[in-house]
This record gives sequence, structure tokens and C-alpha cells, in this order.
Amino acid sequence: MNAELETTSTDPGLAVEALHFPRFDAHLLPTVREARLLTDSPWARLLGGLDMRVQTEGWKFPSPPAEPVNKPEPPPKQEPDAPTIDDGKLPDPLPPRPKPHIRMKPTAETVVFKDRLMYLLQPPLDNLFDGKQVSVPHQPFPYQLEGIAFLMPRHSALLADEMGLGKTMQTILSIRLLFQAGLVKRVLLICPKPLVFNWTRELKLWAGDLPFEIFGGDAQARRASWLVSNCPLKVVNYEILTRDADILQEPGVEFDLCVLDEAQRIKNHDSKTAQVVRSVRRARSWALTGTPIENRPEDLINIFEFVDKGRIPPDTPIKRLAALTSECILRRTKENVQSDMPAKTVYDLSIELTPAQRETYDLAEKEGVVRLNSLGDTLTVQHVFQLVMRLKQICNFDPLTGSSAKLEQLLADMEEVVASGRKAIVFSQWVEPLEVIARALKDFNPLQFHGKIPMPDRPRVLDQFKSDPTKHVILMSYGTGSVGLNLQFTNYVFLFDRWWNPAIEDQAINRAHRIGQKHPVTVKRFIMENTIEKRIAEVLERKRQLFNELLEQSGTPSAMGLTEDEIFGLFDIKSRPRK
Amino acid sequence: MSESTPTGPIHLGFLTVFQEGAGYVGGYLVTNSWGRPLEFRLSTAVQPNRVQHILYGATLQEYLCADLIGKTLIDKCAQPIEMLFTDSLTVLPIRTRLEIPVLAVVPQDDPAVTFLPEERVARLQDSRSSQPLLYDPRHAGDLPRIQALLAGVDTGLDLSEPFGRIREAMSEARKLGATSRAA
Repeated sequence: MNAELETTSTDPGLAVEALHFPRFDAHLLPTVREARLLTDSPWARLLGGLDMRVQTEGWKFPSPPAEPVNKPEPPPKQEPDAPTIDDGKLPDPLPPRPKPHIRMKPTAETVVFKDRLMYLLQPPLDNLFDGKQVSVPHQPFPYQLEGIAFLMPRHSALLADEMGLGKTMQTILSIRLLFQAGLVKRVLLICPKPLVFNWTRELKLWAGDLPFEIFGGDAQARRASWLVSNCPLKVVNYEILTRDADILQEPGVEFDLCVLDEAQRIKNHDSKTAQVVRSVRRARSWALTGTPIENRPEDLINIFEFVDKGRIPPDTPIKRLAALTSECILRRTKENVQSDMPAKTVYDLSIELTPAQRETYDLAEKEGVVRLNSLGDTLTVQHVFQLVMRLKQICNFDPLTGSSAKLEQLLADMEEVVASGRKAIVFSQWVEPLEVIARALKDFNPLQFHGKIPMPDRPRVLDQFKSDPTKHVILMSYGTGSVGLNLQFTNYVFLFDRWWNPAIEDQAINRAHRIGQKHPVTVKRFIMENTIEKRIAEVLERKRQLFNELLEQSGTPSAMGLTEDEIFGLFDIKSRPRK
Repeated sequence: MSESTPTGPIHLGFLTVFQEGAGYVGGYLVTNSWGRPLEFRLSTAVQPNRVQHILYGATLQEYLCADLIGKTLIDKCAQPIEMLFTDSLTVLPIRTRLEIPVLAVVPQDDPAVTFLPEERVARLQDSRSSQPLLYDPRHAGDLPRIQALLAGVDTGLDLSEPFGRIREAMSEARKLGATSRAA
């Protein structure tokens, strides 16, 4: 069905009108404009600057000293043929990880940009020693390189490594590198008198290219050393420094670096020594001590009067000391570095006789040699042996006054051992010195283990040493202490005097250094300079080196002691016994 | 090039040019044969504009690295050198602007090296670098002099190591505002 659509219409009511626009009435009139492109000559529009400029800024650094001629590398040692390994089924080895470089970094207090650059641009310390740029007798351990990296950029530093970790070596190498970098020209080293020889020895060993002079002689000679000498490194002991206090104030007596060994010597602020030390004019101040001074706030404050005056304001609360000083202090213990250190380190400590000992010794040696020469054909090795023993005893103690440079040093070392919570063994070939030492070390509760101790008492002594934390030191004779004992909880071994045979010494040392020892063992051998001990040590060392080269054994057999000829060779003896 | 063994101290130059946010910057370190610093120089940052990019085209990088920044750094330094090392292949063409050998110390796994045609670069092995040292084969005559000079360089000096120092020094300079954008 189709629906029809209905439509309706509606009127919206809108009016429509047309508007008139005149513009539409106008005619279109085209215009012509001139095109300059077609009539003018070609022209270029500037696009702005096309050239590029660069500016530079540069810094020059002090020239290092003249380089030594590179010596040809020694041929590598021939390794024995290693057994071949069928690695066809082994996984591909990982590429060797590059060892991290040990670099110097500028401290937060180095604000001059050029100074910061100077340290940032130095080569890594391990490269310096690896490539023999700086010749050293053996490669420093990584923690020692870190110690050098700590010292070198610092104007104020306190190196407080535990005894036996090589503070002396780290300091010497740091000084040497500073000289080579041109950062210092004059250095003063202050140390206890008994240690002057040891520093001399270590300087020759670790910085053979660095000239140094030791203060001594009369006032006039010392004055010349202070005022006239241009030697870059000067070594003075505390006593001479105190005596020459007035000269320190004269114009021209100033140093780029002053190093203070055994810095606990100035822990008493008002002592003359401390005052004189602080009066030294210097740009850098380094202090060395093995005592854990962080446990002694007052000592730390007084030492810092030298290291960095003003760093610790008066009345600073003790709990703030660490925050104020941590940037300047570096202390490592054996636990910190045991992965770097070998299990056993042997140091030869060269000590000078006290004046009383020297006088007695020289007289005894002179008279002894005269007597030996007078014996003619009746001379036997026993006569020489007796003289050697007498002189060795004088090296321990002066028979007239009892003075002993070794004992003075042992006391200082034991203070550090005890302060670090460690234990030590002291060996001597005689009982009498051990008894004297026991009296001197009474504050450290020494135990004794030698021929005069009854056999039934000996196990108790050893148990006490092991278990009693207040017993820090045991005094042993080589005869009783060398065999069959197990003291691997001991970290320090002092050889107060040395045995004839290195094998016996090794057995003594191995009481501490053995399987089960958790921490590195430090062995200190006391050797008196310019005495029979030094001559014997040199002979034994030559024999040990020769033996090691020939036979490559880990231990030394009993035949390593001195032969008869070697004993005679210790003195200027003209006659020899009839064979 | 003369094959004579160098007499007197050997001075080495280490030049690095790289692009960072502010543009191309360069650092130049002069050392002795042990790697100890003698002189250090760094450049302001150079940022080419779009027109310069277009006009210089493929030569832009070489111009910036070798001519503008590299050559300027070397010329401004007071200390002359006997041999130049760089850690960037784009700086290697500086050899044509200098009278001394130029060697590149670039990791071998760097794509710039991996895809480099053999004829574009020559390689030299030396114990002072874990990577072969690269040089322009068009200057193969430098080789005897290079070997003579390398013999005088300390064996402990790792030739790639100084570039790390340079970058660290440049980073330090940036922190202290020692460099600024060039006009």
C-alpha cells in the first residue's frame, strides 16, 4: 500500500535581500612587478659564520729528572717443561681481567686546579714499578701502592699502619716519587736515634738514586748541614733536632716536606721535643706511627698539632675526632692486608750501639784481636769463637752500664704490638739477656721459656701464653724454643740476637709461621751496625743466596753455618792454626 | 723518514677528541717516555651548526678532529713531541699535517676498526699495547722510526692508559668550568 505524502508549506518569515559589493563591480586589473633576479647580477646571501674556532688552555708541569738509559731486559728464566694438558674438552678460558690501576687522586683540600691536574695526570703507581721506571728491589704489595697513593697528594698525612706492613718503605718511595715529579726539593726526616741506621739502609735499598745526609758531628758541622748544604733529603734524630732548635728559626731553614717517624714521641704537647718539632718550617707534614692512635684521643690531638695545626679546634668532643681526621689518616692492620702480604716477612733492623756500648765494644774488639794475633800457632777456632761470643754479648748489653740499643728498640716495638692486641716471641741464644729483657718488659707481662724453666712448668707457660690475653710476649732461647712448639697465634717474632745457623733461626721463626697461622707473621732481626753481628749476617746471607740458587730448597740444612775459615775471616787475624 | 736511533729524551703526545653534549672537545697530554706528565692542554667545545654540517659533509669530522682541534692543541703546546698517539681513528689523518709518526690505539672490537678495509690502516704489534697499533699505510715509511722510538719507551707504559687520565682530567675541568662553548 503506498502511503501518500502530505506536504505543507510554512513561511519562515525571513526576508532575503541582495547586498551590493562594489569590489565585484571593478574590473580585474593585472599589475606587473619587476623581477630583479632576471635583471640584476647574481648575488650571494650570507648564511652567517661558516668558520669554526676553538680556544685552548694549557698547563705545564715540573720536569721530572733526567731519565736513566733503559737497560736491556734480562732474558726470561727458562721454565721447566710443563706437562701438556689436553684442553680439547675444557671450556674456553675467560680473558684475563685487567688488574685495576692504583692511581693518585687529589684530596678534597687540593683546590688549585693545576694541582688537581698534576695528581690526576700522574701514571699509575703499579705501572711505575712494573716497568722498572722506578727501580726497586722487589715489587711493592698492592696495599703498599695504595699507601703511596695516599701519601703523595697530601700535605697533611698520618700513616699509622700496623708494625711490619712497611711504613718505612712506603714513605721512602713516596718521597722518591715526589722528588721525581718535581713537587718537592727539600725534605727533612726526623726519627729516633737508634733508627737512623735503619733509615739509612732502607733509603739505600728503596731510593738508591736519592742523595741524603745524616746530621751529626759538632755544632759547626751541623750548622753547615742546616744552613749551607743543598742535599735534598736530610735525616736528623730527635735529640739533635732539639739541640739545634735555634738554628731552625734562621732564614732559609724550611722544607717542602717534613716526615716524623715514631710520631708518638710528640704526644706530650708541652715537651721540648714536641715544641721543637712543631717549629720546623714546612709545607707538608707527614707522621708515621704503628700505634693505633685512634684509641688514644689525646695523643692523636697532639700529633695533629704537627700534622695539620688547626684541623682539630680546641675543646672538640672526642666523638668528632674521627670525622675531622679521617681524611688524613691511613691505618691498615694485618687482617686488612693479609691477602696481599706473604705469610712471613723478615726485616733486618739495623741499629747503632749506644755510646757506652760502642766504647766497650771497640775496646774489646781491639784487645781481642791483639790477643788472637799473639797466640801464633796455638790459635784455634775456639779462641776466635770466644771473642765473637763476647762481642755479641756486648751488642746485646753493655756489661758496665747495662745500656742496650736493642732493648730500647724492643720496648718501643712491644708498645706497638701490645697496643695492636698482638703477641710476640723474643728469641736469644742466651738465658741471661732474656731475664734482663723480662724485667724491662714487665709492663707487658712477659713469660719465659728456656733452660732455667723446669720441664714440668713448661706446658703451663705455653698454655698461659696462648690463652691469657694479658700475656703479650714470651721470651725463648733458641735451644728450647726452636723445636716442637706450636705458637701460630703469634704475629711477631723478634730475634734479639742471631744464631750461627740459619736453619735454627728458621725453625724458631716457624714456631709462629706455620699452618694454622691466620695472619702474616713479621720477623724482626736486630743487627748492630759496624759490629761482628753485621759481618756474620753478611756472610750468612751470601751463603743462603748461593745455596738457594744452586739447589732451590725450601729449607736450609744444618751445613749452612759458618765454616772455620769464615769464622777466622771475621777479624783481621794474621796467623792461622796449623792444620 | 730517518731510521736513526733517537738521541736524547723522547716525548710522547696523547691526543683524544670526542663528541659530547656541548660539541667536540679535545684533550692533549705530553709525557716523557715513562708516561709522566709534562704538559696538558684542552680545547673548548666546538659545535658545528647545520650549515656547517651540510657544507663540510663527510669531511666534517676529519676537519674538526684533526685540523681544528687536534692541530691547534699540538701547535699551542710548548713541548715538542717525537710521536703522537690517539685513541680515535678520526684523528689519524692528522699525520698529513705533522712531521712525526702518528699511531692509533683503538680496541679491536670497536666497529670503526672492525669494518675498516685492510688497505685503509696498517697494524703494528707492540708489547706496550694489548691492541695492535694502527697507522696510515700511506706513511709506511714511518715504520722504522716508530720502532726506534718505541724501543726508547718504557716497557711498563701501557699506551692506552694515558687516555683514561686525559678524560678524567677533562671531566675535572668540566666540573670546575674550565671549558666553555666556542664562539
